[in-house]
Amino acid sequence: MAPEVGLSRSTFAKLSPHPYLLANLEPSDDSVPPARSNGRAPFEVRTPTVNLSSLSHAHGSALVRTGDTTVICGIRGETILTDHIPNFRASNTQTELADYDLLVPNIELATGSAPQFLPGGPPTTLAQTLSTRIYSLLHSSKLLRAEDLRIWHKRPAEAPIPVDEEEEGGNEQQEGEETVVAYWVLYIDLFFISFDGNPFDAAWAATVAALRDTKLPQARYDPDREMIICSRKDPRPLTVETMPIACTAVIFTGKETKDQAPDGKFWMLADPDTLEESLCNETVTIVIDCSGGSRRILSISKHGGTVMSAKLLGSKEFLDWASKRWEGLASAITGSR
Amino acid sequence: MAPPTAELSHLPKADGSANFAFGGYTITAAVNGPVEAQRRDENPFEALVDVNVRPAAGVGGTAERQLEAILQPALRHLIPVRNFPRCVIQVTLQVMEVPENAYVNTKVLQPRLNLGIIPALLHASILGLLTATIPLKTVASATCLAITNDDESTVKVDPTPAEIDQARSVHVLGFTASRDLLLAESEGSFSAEEWDKVLQTAEKVCCRSQEAEDDAEMGGYGAESENVQQFMRSVLEAKAAEGLHWR
Repeated sequence: MAPEVGLSRSTFAKLSPHPYLLANLEPSDDSVPPARSNGRAPFEVRTPTVNLSSLSHAHGSALVRTGDTTVICGIRGETILTDHIPNFRASNTQTELADYDLLVPNIELATGSAPQFLPGGPPTTLAQTLSTRIYSLLHSSKLLRAEDLRIWHKRPAEAPIPVDEEEEGGNEQQEGEETVVAYWVLYIDLFFISFDGNPFDAAWAATVAALRDTKLPQARYDPDREMIICSRKDPRPLTVETMPIACTAVIFTGKETKDQAPDGKFWMLADPDTLEESLCNETVTIVIDCSGGSRRILSISKHGGTVMSAKLLGSKEFLDWASKRWEGLASAITGSR
Repeated sequence: MAPPTAELSHLPKADGSANFAFGGYTITAAVNGPVEAQRRDENPFEALVDVNVRPAAGVGGTAERQLEAILQPALRHLIPVRNFPRCVIQVTLQVMEVPENAYVNTKVLQPRLNLGIIPALLHASILGLLTATIPLKTVASATCLAITNDDESTVKVDPTPAEIDQARSVHVLGFTASRDLLLAESEGSFSAEEWDKVLQTAEKVCCRSQEAEDDAEMGGYGAESENVQQFMRSVLEAKAAEGLHWR
């Protein structure tokens, strides 16, 4: 290490974070391993911790913490009668979730979770974007099955009005057919307690973990009162077979002012914190599911630059990195009980 | 599918404007800038790129914010923002027409991201930026692909909304004129091999006919979809020729 001249490390980091990060990633001394300003290696992610069922009044909840990003997800089921759904069609068994809006995610970035979130005012663009991404991914990943949200009701056989004694014996009791009378609507509320970069990964992991934790009460239709009656006895868990996990990385080019040269050096920083996100323009997010042996990609989004080429995005190294990240988060979700 | 059509500088008050129509989508882009940024938004080192997407009906919701969040970094990469410090370049994209999908009962407010509209929005905004004579580092074009639900995974270029609904996975990829991947957004479920195939097809669709000999062999890959970069060039050439007609 060169003797300190003029500025201390922390002052340098605050004054010019970009050269500071570059200096850390490209140490002048070979004996020092390259690291990020936060001490992690470029591909190293923050260890996730997951805590299930922390909220007592929600049907399912999960708290996910990765470094200083902490998000809590609570899921609350509400019932809606099919009579109250304007565009209800009994023949629709394919697109119920989207057509009737049975999944309602909402994201709140709490005041004080990060300095940039101020009290009052409408939801920020970030919160709106995140909630659309969660909503789109919930539907496109087919995480939930509509069967779990249907509430069935078998209409009792319509007893004919007894006219006289001998006719009653002759009439066979007709079985009433079973129909969907109501649906569960899942309100998925995500609340950022603390915010330090990479909100989507944490929010999505919390959503998946909370949905796996969700147990809906037994519900039955009461035809007399025309409402749904729930009982607390043996609640029924949702069927969530897949385990999609989002993996985000940012691309750090080392050049603050100029454009990237075609052969220029760059670093892919996995699971970025707020500082790294502010220094990088290009981000890439891949949602991957390795459960059940095969590797499926559920979403890839890449924005803000051209460093991450098509070749790199399809490369084995990138997918292997994502699979490794999947293992870490998936075991954190399944292992917490 | 009908070839793309465009109309340039049709709004008298905006610095630059363009109307772009393709595949049932019609987008009007109005570009203003570089103008001085408001004090609270200004960046002393670079220009702010402000993208506004307005839906065909109703007010913009969260899905429109997400579209803006996808387009903004792409446009910011194309514009040399460092040349215009303390400025703002405002791109307003009004959706004029969306293709009808007879199979779905349409809701006015769509909370879900509509991937099919992204190429049209990108092309309209680039034409708008060009007519506003805002310097660009390069131009870009995007395409929408869908892997259909068959046994063998066939990649469909420029799918219709009904095909998007039925598809196993939908992808939007944008490439710059120098064949670099600028934006990628996909949803659905697909394998690494399918992803490779999608990347290759998209690159061919977006960057095709930059070399003339490519044209013949590309016949199989969605020959019906015209190369948009070529199209933008020809529209702008026609506009320039019209402007210089008096000479």
